[in-house]
Amino acid sequence: MNRINPIHIAILLVVILAFIIMKLHDAKEELAQNKESYQKTLVLADKIKGLQSSYFNKIKIQKSLERLLRQSSLRSANITKKVTNSGILLTSESMDIKALNLLMGKILNGAYNISNLKIKRLNNEKASLKLEIKW
Amino acid sequence: MFSKFKGQIDTIFVDVNSASFELDKSVNIILSPSLYWVKKVTLPVKSVREVKPLLESLFEENLPDGVYSYDVYKQDDEFVIFAYEDKVILNILHEKGISSAQINKVYLAQSELFRQESAKKISEDTILLVEDGIVVVLPFTFASSDEVLDVHDVKLSKNSIRLKQFSHLVNEKSLYTIAFIFFALIALVSTEYFITVKKNNISQTQRDALFVKYGLKPTMLQNRSMLKSYEKIYKSQTQLREYMADLLSLHLKEKHKIKVITYKNKKLRVQFDGIKSGEEKYIEQILKSKKCKFSAQYKNDIWYVEFKI
Repeated sequence: MNRINPIHIAILLVVILAFIIMKLHDAKEELAQNKESYQKTLVLADKIKGLQSSYFNKIKIQKSLERLLRQSSLRSANITKKVTNSGILLTSESMDIKALNLLMGKILNGAYNISNLKIKRLNNEKASLKLEIKW
Repeated sequence: MFSKFKGQIDTIFVDVNSASFELDKSVNIILSPSLYWVKKVTLPVKSVREVKPLLESLFEENLPDGVYSYDVYKQDDEFVIFAYEDKVILNILHEKGISSAQINKVYLAQSELFRQESAKKISEDTILLVEDGIVVVLPFTFASSDEVLDVHDVKLSKNSIRLKQFSHLVNEKSLYTIAFIFFALIALVSTEYFITVKKNNISQTQRDALFVKYGLKPTMLQNRSMLKSYEKIYKSQTQLREYMADLLSLHLKEKHKIKVITYKNKKLRVQFDGIKSGEEKYIEQILKSKKCKFSAQYKNDIWYVEFKI
């Protein structure tokens, strides 16, 4: 005998449909949150990567400073270079003003994290320098 | 379940005028011709399956208003077709003290009793007999018989019918249509759900890949804190460069010189040499016009300026 009430079947189907719709709604919300989270993470990661590669990349900073110090006008400027774990220290007891201008022009226009700086005018043509760059 | 062996299940005959039954187990029921409509037809088709779609039209105009179910079986070269009202039959069975749970199988008198050779008494006023191969119920006046119909030993055929308890609520075709629509909707929504879940997993994987690709810290809190410290350094370095640019672009008078520039602990200090008291005003004005935030003091012909970064 067919004893199943079609209304019961209909209710069951409605309940199943409602349940799946609810699950779908939750999944869509989760997807929207995941997408938003992905975009936020991407923006954050780009910013961190950008700043890291410009201000805190040890190898890049060392190479660019070495390239700079190899320039003929700076080679004769008696600049001492000391590399530590946290950064690099450039010192000169007495250097030509033009060489100082060239060096500082490059440093200030580049992405270097200057933590310590002392420039002292010795006379019209000479100055002393102490410059610490950190990474 | 094991009590329902074929041999153990009793068979009863039910007519509109039957007395009530007192049953303690399930039974097979043979329905009286008064509970269904029957026709013998010859059709140019071979199988029962081909006849089924035609049943409703074959009874057209013969039946009173009602919700009917139809059935057919083949006998020799003819098709025996039936129409019956499930709800009406179930109501009568209920009135006779037979509940749905007590019904094992339901048969029609036509398929089970058409071989009866003589008229059988089924109540005080009615008899059952076979006329031209059709089992009919007639008043007692048409034929007399003292023999009472006994169906206990009748060998039942395979032509049982299935009574639909809810056919009056919704017809079978509509039910299937509605059910199909619901199943289709459920399938559609389920598919979309699984696709969304897959997209979620992909999105999550892509986000995890970002952490590996950019070498990020395990938590967003750590990463935000790292970015904040980087941005702070970036801001202070930018500010330092702006102040240095302002200082180096100063047009100092001939005797006025910058003697020392120091930067430490986010403080930029500058010593101006050769400036007599009051002469520093023009430099002060230039720095203010450039919106530099600074403090200054004059001491022993040296003007000290401090910029906060």
